[in-house]
Amino acid sequence: MLALRLTRGARPAVQLRRLLVTAASAGTGFLLLCALGYALSHPDSPGDATARLAWCLPPLAATVHLAVAVARTDPGTRPRPGLAAVGLGPARLMLVSATTTALSCVLGSMLALLVFLHLRGDLTGMPFDGAAEEALAAGTPLPVPGSLTLLALVPLIASATVAFVLRPQGLGPAPDGGTGRSYGRFGARVREAVRGTPGTGQEPASAPGTVAVEAPAAGAAPDTLPALPEPSPAPKGLPWGVAVLAAGLAVETYAAGASDDGGPALPAALPAGPTGVLVGWLLTAVGLALAAPGLTHLCGLLLQAVRPGALRLLAGRGLMAEAARIGRPLGVVCAVASAAYAMTPLPEPGSFGPLTALGAAVVTGCAVATLLTAAVEARQDRAGTTAALQRLGAPASALRAAAALRAGALLAVFGPLTLVVAELAALPLAR
Amino acid sequence: MVAPPDNDVLWARALHYSYDDGSPGLSGVSLGVQEGEILAVVGPRGSGKTALLRCLSGLTPAGGGEVWFNSVPVHTMGAQARDRLRRDRFAWIGPTPSLVPELNVWENTALPLMLRGSGRRQAKTAALEWLERLDVGDAARKRPYQLVRAERQRVSIARALAPAPQVLFADEPTAPLHRADRTQVLRTLTAAARSHGITVVLTGHDPECSAFADRTIALLDGRRVNTVHLPPVPETEGRAACSLSA
Repeated sequence: MLALRLTRGARPAVQLRRLLVTAASAGTGFLLLCALGYALSHPDSPGDATARLAWCLPPLAATVHLAVAVARTDPGTRPRPGLAAVGLGPARLMLVSATTTALSCVLGSMLALLVFLHLRGDLTGMPFDGAAEEALAAGTPLPVPGSLTLLALVPLIASATVAFVLRPQGLGPAPDGGTGRSYGRFGARVREAVRGTPGTGQEPASAPGTVAVEAPAAGAAPDTLPALPEPSPAPKGLPWGVAVLAAGLAVETYAAGASDDGGPALPAALPAGPTGVLVGWLLTAVGLALAAPGLTHLCGLLLQAVRPGALRLLAGRGLMAEAARIGRPLGVVCAVASAAYAMTPLPEPGSFGPLTALGAAVVTGCAVATLLTAAVEARQDRAGTTAALQRLGAPASALRAAAALRAGALLAVFGPLTLVVAELAALPLAR
Repeated sequence: MVAPPDNDVLWARALHYSYDDGSPGLSGVSLGVQEGEILAVVGPRGSGKTALLRCLSGLTPAGGGEVWFNSVPVHTMGAQARDRLRRDRFAWIGPTPSLVPELNVWENTALPLMLRGSGRRQAKTAALEWLERLDVGDAARKRPYQLVRAERQRVSIARALAPAPQVLFADEPTAPLHRADRTQVLRTLTAAARSHGITVVLTGHDPECSAFADRTIALLDGRRVNTVHLPPVPETEGRAACSLSA
């Protein structure tokens, strides 16, 4: 009930993000149901049906990715003092946000079921009744357990992932364990102990006009307010990402020359090449996603490199701080964009089936929406800093210029990278 | 419209302010601050100290009354002009040091200077000098999260003083600190301001901060008071009535 109340009271932008999750979930659910329909109408070719089901994985992954990003930015499920005071701590709020996600996804699944039944001709009274009867196995009755399982897949996976990602940290019993956060606190404690030792309690009387001598308070201030969070360390995935990317490109280039072994069934218009090409593409995409945070960090580092002024300093350091958050979705968008670029020169433009188009739309839309949501999250996170800068007298134009500089630097690095990867990935297709 | 006295750098008359939700903030506060003076505004929590400082510095427009800075009316200025005035003439220290977490200490201190267009080397020199004066010179290359709270507050004082403002508004600069740190922070702040002739308007709710000021005014429930005559605190209220044996 609380999740519903919190959901209802949100602002339009938040509702729009949730609607995006619903739409993505609907698309994925529809694709899954279509795979089921294909299996029903072609009971003698289980291999093809399995391949179709497997091709639903990328949209599913994209949907979950988006759902997690939206849940992270949801202001309704953020730990708040008001809710913490009535006993809704981070652990309960994790459940609330998982419920909210499940709500959006279930709504999408219901929508998918409705459209599916409608296109099958089971529901009548609207235009396009049974427009796709033969493709969706209109003759055979729909197995209820199978369709329910498929429809429950997206909400279950999405809310489980959200609960895992948003699990409260630092509540566990091991404060001095090996995690980065507790190490930071431990380090801070050591530093304070070192500082407070000599010359304590003496308050030298200084005449006006002179500067008082430092009188550190020995063991004085146990922290009551939360200290500044330690900045996230620089992402370390760059070498791995580059290695995986290079390996993927190499694999697909070599495999293109290898003998055609039939390969896995590819959706619609893709030429059925050797298996190696597909593996190479997968490796390339994973490599891009792995390398992107490191590349983003590098971008920031270069931006503020040589004797920066205020503008480059703010832009570069901001980019370095947000590298982990922005980089991952940016890498995914790059992978999707390079795939799209590689697909464009295919022989027959009209050969994309409607389902392939739907899947591609879901994946692309989710990737882009996730990137935008991550940008919103970063902005929310830096709202305090922005307010401090404005109070300091930073003109709004300077802040806008810093943001534009950041975006420009990212575009300048990732645009050519996407093009190069796409060209290399399209090589096997061209033969 | 009455012209303000010439020797006051900041002058307010009959300031009224109420918060967005309608709760009263200030009801008719008048004051004048002279050039180079350190003025302490004391009062308990909720007495309107922060609202007064925000109105004086042009952060929020006052609901009624006048604010004059150097014979220029602040209360009739537009938002842009007030922004420019704050950037060029005023500096603000809040109760919590709001440093930019990605920049290190000297970059934080030099940021206002660089935002005003001075060169990097010049800004760095000025920032390092101020940090040295405020006893955080050793920490110049550290990040804000590596400092303890008193050091962070001193860095934000250095950041406020580095561009040489005409008026410095310090809104409870010692609120989150213990007493030893509190005295030291206040002492450094006032000493630096005096030696540079910077006018300071300081708030606090303990009489300690008035020891560092030239003049103290007291606020109570949004009004300026000279002597506080509150009724004596009674015995714990209602206890006798609740007791069955009484």
